Amino acid sequence: MVHALNEIRRVLVKSGSLIDLRPVLDRWPIEVTSKSGNHEAGRATDLPEPVADDEAAERAMAEAEQLGWFMRERQEVFPFFYYWDTPKEMREYIDETWNDVIHIEDELWRQLGTSWATANADARVRIRLKMMITGLRKQDPS
Amino acid sequence: MTVQTDPERTESKYFKRYADLAGKRVLEIGCGDGRLTWLYAKSAARVTGIDLHRDDLRVATIDRPADLEHKVVFIRADSIHLPFAKESFDIAILAWSF
Repeated sequence: MVHALNEIRRVLVKSGSLIDLRPVLDRWPIEVTSKSGNHEAGRATDLPEPVADDEAAERAMAEAEQLGWFMRERQEVFPFFYYWDTPKEMREYIDETWNDVIHIEDELWRQLGTSWATANADARVRIRLKMMITGLRKQDPS
Repeated sequence: MTVQTDPERTESKYFKRYADLAGKRVLEIGCGDGRLTWLYAKSAARVTGIDLHRDDLRVATIDRPADLEHKVVFIRADSIHLPFAKESFDIAILAWSF
């Protein structure tokens, strides 16, 4: 990852900007949402390998700063939601797309199903990702 | 299986606060199917999206609006070996890619 940051630095103009936008694992909440409000059924379990990837990305950014390649100017986190009409659709998507990122226990699927079935007719299910955005500026190491 | 992503458009709001892309040459690393690209491409001077996944790049190219064909290109490339000359871009975006 440090090599990639060095390549990015090479192709950027002097004082060019780098924006790092990515989800960060943090036991993302699984919720039922409707016009009457939101209810958290539980949280996903983070799998070890992508957690290690997050940590490696952070280490690479820190190293790029220490080497004087980039300076971190701003950083914020914000929610990013994925919505499905039913828990079944959500489960199919997560099993197919994120099975190497997160795990959701059977008990949580059951709780989600119950919460959704007993909620308002307009209820949907969603997962709240933690997104991080970082603005960095290319530096010229002395 | 229908999924809806970020109907609140929170990502777009934050992204625009971080990136003034007007008239800039932009490199998007991990462009995927172009979902993020279409949020900003109109204001940029030129956009180069790279990704390793051929299927995603094919979708991005198919979805590319006709009025952006002249300034948005998608290339299969790895961030460790960027096939571009020194100082080719004003802004680089790591898009869900680290």
